[in-house]
Amino acid sequence: MSAIVSVENVVKEYPLGKLKVRALDGVTLSFGEGEFAAIAAPSGAGKTTLLNLIGCVDVPTSGVVRIDGQATSELDDAGLTRLRLHKLGFIFQSFNLITVLDVYQNVEFPLLLQGGMTKKERDRRVREIVEQVGLDKQMRHRPNELSGGQRQRVAIARALVTRPRIVLADEPTANLDSATGQNIIGLMKEINRKNRTTFIFSTHDPMVMSQAERVIRMADGRIVGEERRAAEGAA
Amino acid sequence: MGIYVKVAFRNLLQARRRSLLLGLALASVSMLLVFLMAISQGMADSLLETTTTLASGHVNVHGFYKPSTNAVAWPIIEDEKKVRPLVEEILPDVERVVSRAHGWGKIVSETGSIVTSVTGILPEQEDRLRERLTLAPRSAYMEGGGDEVVGDVSRVGEPGTIFLFANQARRLKVDVGDTVILAAETSGGAANSVDLTVVGIGRDLGMVTNFISFTHKDTIHQVYQLKPEATGSLLLYLDDIERTHAARKELADALASRELEILEHLDQPFYMRMDALSNQRWAGQRYDVNTWEAEGAHGKWVITGFQWISYFLVSILVLIIVVGVMNTMWMSVRERTPEIGTLRAIGMGRSRVLLLFVTEALILGLLASGFGAGLGALFASILDAARIPLPSDAAKTVLMSDTLRLSVRLDQIVRSVLVFTFVAGAASLYPASRAARMRPVTAIHHVG
Repeated sequence: MSAIVSVENVVKEYPLGKLKVRALDGVTLSFGEGEFAAIAAPSGAGKTTLLNLIGCVDVPTSGVVRIDGQATSELDDAGLTRLRLHKLGFIFQSFNLITVLDVYQNVEFPLLLQGGMTKKERDRRVREIVEQVGLDKQMRHRPNELSGGQRQRVAIARALVTRPRIVLADEPTANLDSATGQNIIGLMKEINRKNRTTFIFSTHDPMVMSQAERVIRMADGRIVGEERRAAEGAA
Repeated sequence: MGIYVKVAFRNLLQARRRSLLLGLALASVSMLLVFLMAISQGMADSLLETTTTLASGHVNVHGFYKPSTNAVAWPIIEDEKKVRPLVEEILPDVERVVSRAHGWGKIVSETGSIVTSVTGILPEQEDRLRERLTLAPRSAYMEGGGDEVVGDVSRVGEPGTIFLFANQARRLKVDVGDTVILAAETSGGAANSVDLTVVGIGRDLGMVTNFISFTHKDTIHQVYQLKPEATGSLLLYLDDIERTHAARKELADALASRELEILEHLDQPFYMRMDALSNQRWAGQRYDVNTWEAEGAHGKWVITGFQWISYFLVSILVLIIVVGVMNTMWMSVRERTPEIGTLRAIGMGRSRVLLLFVTEALILGLLASGFGAGLGALFASILDAARIPLPSDAAKTVLMSDTLRLSVRLDQIVRSVLVFTFVAGAASLYPASRAARMRPVTAIHHVG
C-alpha cells in the first residue's frame, strides 16, 4: 500500500510563557491510501496536534509531513490552502458547521471554494453526498434544527463532497451518544470502503477504536504502540 | 460571490441588535448628509434661478465706457447694434438675448431714501423676469400690513414706473401706487431726476433683491441722458446651460479677435469692477464677458461656506461611524474566530476571508445608507413641498429664497450611498485583515 501521508521525525513545540511545551516528540508514521486508521490516546497526548499537522492547518517545528508526496513545510499559506481544499477533508469534534447556512449550503460551500464546476454538477454532487449520509429530508434545515448526529453527518458530507483523498476527523464521536457515535463511525467506514478514501481519526473511546483497521497509540507526544486488524469483509 | 453575500447578510441578521444599532447610526448620518445636500442644492438652484432672471443671463456682455482717461467708468455699451450681431454670429446656440441698461442712484420717497441700482428693461424681452417675480404681501413691507397682495407684475418695466422689493419698500415706507423720485447724476455730470410710480413690490429673494429695482430702459436713458443706441449689458441665454463656461470663453476670444477690448475675466459681478476700472488710465469702450456664476459670486461663497460646514459636520460623524464599524467588525471577528478557523481548514484562502467580512460591512453600509438617504430625500421633498416661509431676512439672504427650498438630486443620493458604503467597507478592512491573517489552527481552537 503506497503512503499517502507520511510523518517523519516530527517535533511540534508550543510556547507557553517563557517555556516551550513539546506536543509531539519525534513522531514518525505513515498512512496508506484507503486506510481506516485511529489515533488513540488520552487527552493531551498530542493526537489533535498530529491531525493538525497532517491537515496542514499547522506546520511542524521540525521534521517533515508529506501529503501525497508534497512536504507541507515547503508550501506557503496559499499552497497549504490549496492542499486542504483539494486533497483533505475535515470532520471536527464540535461539527463546526456554518450556522447561517442550511445543510445543502454547508455541503456546497467547499465546492464553491474550489470553483470550476457548473451549478448543475455541483447540485448533483451535493445531493448525492447528502443522500449518502441520509439527510436528504433535512436538506434545507439549518444546523440548529438538527440533532448532534445529524450535524456530524453534515460535517461528513461537507468533508467528502470535494472527493478528498484523506479525511481527518478529530474525535468525531466525542459529542455524540454511543449509539449515534457508532452510527457515525459506521457511516465513515462504509464511505471508506466504497470510495477508498483514507480516514484518519482520533479517539479515546475503545468502542470507536474497535472499528478501526489500524490503531496507533500515543502518549506524551510519542507513538507508543500500533495494532492492525484485518478489514471487515477482506479476503 | 453569491455565497459570500448570503453568509454576510445572514451573519448581519444573526447579530441583529448590533447590526441595527450600527445601521441606525449609518442611516442617520447618511440622512443628514442628503438633507444638508438638499439644502445646499436648493440654495444653488435658487441662486441660479434668481441670478439668471433678475441679474444675469447664462453669459453676459457688460460694457464699460470711459469718455476720458480720468473719467469714471460707466456701465454702458455705446452702440448695441455693433455688438449684438457679433454675439449672435459667434454663439449660434444663444436662445435669447436680453438688453438691459444700468443706473445707480437715489430713490427718494416722502419719508426716506435709499441708494440702489436701477435696471432698465424692455418689457417685451422680459417674460422670464415676470414669471420669476412674485408680489410680496403688505405685511412684508408695511407695519400693520396684512396678507393682501397689491400691485401688478405684468406692469414691470412700464415707462414711468418702478418695481421695488419688500426690503426697499420697507425702508422707503412706500406702497404700490405711491410715487418716488429717482435722482442721479447724468453722464455729463449734471443732476437729474424723474418721478416714478411704484407698480409692484416683490418678495425678497436673497441678497440680489437688496440692490436691484426695475424700470423701463428709456427711463434710464432719460435720467442718465444716454444715446438711444446705448445699452448696459447683453444677457445671453443658451440652449444648454452646461455650455456656459465654454460659451463665455468662445465669445470673449472671438470678440477680442474682432478687435473689441475685452477685460480680463474675473469671478465677480460686473458692478464690483467699476471702482477699479475708474482708477485705470484708459479711455473708450471695453467689455467684460462673464457668466451667471460670476454675477452670483456672493451666493456661491455662501453655498461654498455652507457646504464646507456640512462636510465638516458629516466628516466628524463619519469618523464616529468608522470607529463604530471597526468595533462591530472586530467583535464579529472575535465571536466567529472558530468559524474562520473552520473556513480556513476547509480551504478558504486569506483573501476570501477578508472578502467575507468586508462584504458584511459593505452590505450593512449599503442598506443602512440607502435607507438613510431615502429617508433624507423624502424628508427634504416633504419640507420643500410645504414651502415653509423663512422667518428672518438673514435666513432669506443666506438661503436666497423667501421659503425653505430643498432640492433632492438623484446623483447626490447615489453619491452619498456610495460614500457611506465605501466608508463602511474601508473601516472593516483592518478587522477583516486581522481575521484573514489568523492561523487556522489558532482560530479553530479559539475559545471565545
